[in-house]
Amino acid sequence: MKTEINDQELSIYIDKSLYNTDVLYKCFYWYSTDYAIDITDDSEKHHLVKIKPVDKNSTESLITKVKKDLIDFKLRDIVTKETKTIRELMIAKAFAYYDSDETPASDISDPVGFDPENMQE
Amino acid sequence: MEQIKAEIKKTRKFKDFEYYESRKQNEYYLLPFRFHRITEQKEVFVNEVGDFLIVPSGTAEKVITRKLNPEIEKELYADLIANFFISEARIPPLIDITAVRYRTKKSFLDGFTALHIFVISLRCEHTCHYCQVSRVTTNKTAFDMSRKHIDKGIEYMMMSPSVNLTMEFQGGEALLAFENIQYAIEKANMLAPKLNKNMTYVICTNLALLNEEILNYCKTENILISASLDGPAFIHNANRHRPGNNSYELTIEGIEKCRASIGEDKVSALLTTTTLSLDYPTEIVDEYFNKNFKSIFLRPISPYGFAKHNGKKNGYLTDRFLTFYKTALNRIIKYNIEGHFFREEYATIILKKILSPFPVGFVDLQSPAGMINKVIVFNYDGKVYASDEARMLAENHDYTFCLGNLDENTYHDIFFNENVSHISDVMVNEALAGCSECAFQSYCGADPVFHYATQGDMYGNRADSLFCRKNMEIIRYLLELMDNNKSIEKIFYNWINY
Repeated sequence: MKTEINDQELSIYIDKSLYNTDVLYKCFYWYSTDYAIDITDDSEKHHLVKIKPVDKNSTESLITKVKKDLIDFKLRDIVTKETKTIRELMIAKAFAYYDSDETPASDISDPVGFDPENMQE
Repeated sequence: MEQIKAEIKKTRKFKDFEYYESRKQNEYYLLPFRFHRITEQKEVFVNEVGDFLIVPSGTAEKVITRKLNPEIEKELYADLIANFFISEARIPPLIDITAVRYRTKKSFLDGFTALHIFVISLRCEHTCHYCQVSRVTTNKTAFDMSRKHIDKGIEYMMMSPSVNLTMEFQGGEALLAFENIQYAIEKANMLAPKLNKNMTYVICTNLALLNEEILNYCKTENILISASLDGPAFIHNANRHRPGNNSYELTIEGIEKCRASIGEDKVSALLTTTTLSLDYPTEIVDEYFNKNFKSIFLRPISPYGFAKHNGKKNGYLTDRFLTFYKTALNRIIKYNIEGHFFREEYATIILKKILSPFPVGFVDLQSPAGMINKVIVFNYDGKVYASDEARMLAENHDYTFCLGNLDENTYHDIFFNENVSHISDVMVNEALAGCSECAFQSYCGADPVFHYATQGDMYGNRADSLFCRKNMEIIRYLLELMDNNKSIEKIFYNWINY
């Protein structure tokens, strides 16, 4: 991952084949309090993310944090997308057919004759 | 003969070991889960129903990129399968069980509004410096809830689908309008049996006005008393001004009288954390312990008094609160290690979400949010608010979370209006930016009023959210404590099972 620092602004060139824009936005969302973030399209192969501290935070130490966070958010993105269907299925099952039937819809068979009404003297 | 042997083998109930060992290492499916680094060395996985697993850092990457080798890491693989983080089938055979558990976690929604707060009077004889709402006055007409509004509030409370209803009287100082409390309870008691409602009554009071008549009535009607105790005298009296500077003495005397008359378990005390409290975590915990309380609720410092300050100051106060909280929690744990039962309530609420399959009825940590769904506030002047904090905003002339008025609006107008629909859009943390992939989502909640008050936007920005900073750190800390010390984990289990 190519990085440059100019006048306290960190520029990171991120490989598009590795990180999609969803991951970038989710990752850099968490930087938005302390840093001014600018996400642009640099070339066919790279996103360009420019990060400038709002205060006087060091940009040097940022590089390690960004790399770590990018991986975390990419992994989260994989889980979210890969498990979307199963999650929807589970939640649908959780809330579908909520109303329970007070009385069974069909007759109950009583082959052994446990129902008092079916008992013969 | 060989053919017969092969047939027999095929129909055996259990397959050979080779069958399992020959599985390829990437032959598993991910199930919905989220992860978070809790320390440099550890990360936590949390699944959709709140089950968690603490694992070494780097495990998430290994699992998600299919680098996990089931043959080498048998124990981890088994834990991941057993806790529904991965599955060997595309649709896990126990998906119905998970669905039922998910439904159970959200079952707090079933009853709709249960807690009905009646601000019975805005009058108070205290002048607490952090209180924005109370008035020192004898003008009952202007600041007491009218009988007409009490009647209407009770009518709407009885329309709630919830079988179990809590009617909580707040102030100002609620006991200044004791006749109206009696009127309201008698009215509710008359209607409740006809409508099959189980009533619980709570009076929130500073106890300064407690007398024999009130005590006897509370005993007869089985009323719970929620008192205010901010810590030792030098903190309590500094926070809670009244003529004679004796608020602490009256509170302690009142608590003892209530315990003797109504019952030990009918009296609780609530701490209001102020900037002064932040310097005295140990003294505050000791005060509650020495006064024979079985618990203390270390309530987060309220943003409503300093919401207009700048973000940096708010952040600084949240960090100070977190330091205060951890010091106090460690002191509480120390008492437990020494053999006493004494729990912290905020941690207990979170721990119930982490360690039990059941939801917790605490409105500040729910998704969908507890406002309207679980709590509604009928203000002294007939206005209806989405939560107690919403009425605090209204006292500063901000009516964003006002849902209507008891004079003009029907039940339907109040609970299902456009404003409610608008607020509902931001009440679900599963669908909020920053929360949707957060590992602590199922332990946390959504709080539109808090974000509106502190950020001017009810959706909120999680990166700059004090709600997020506070809850994420407390949850992380609780997990770290349990992971580092199994005897603390046992204490925590004891807290949630009490």
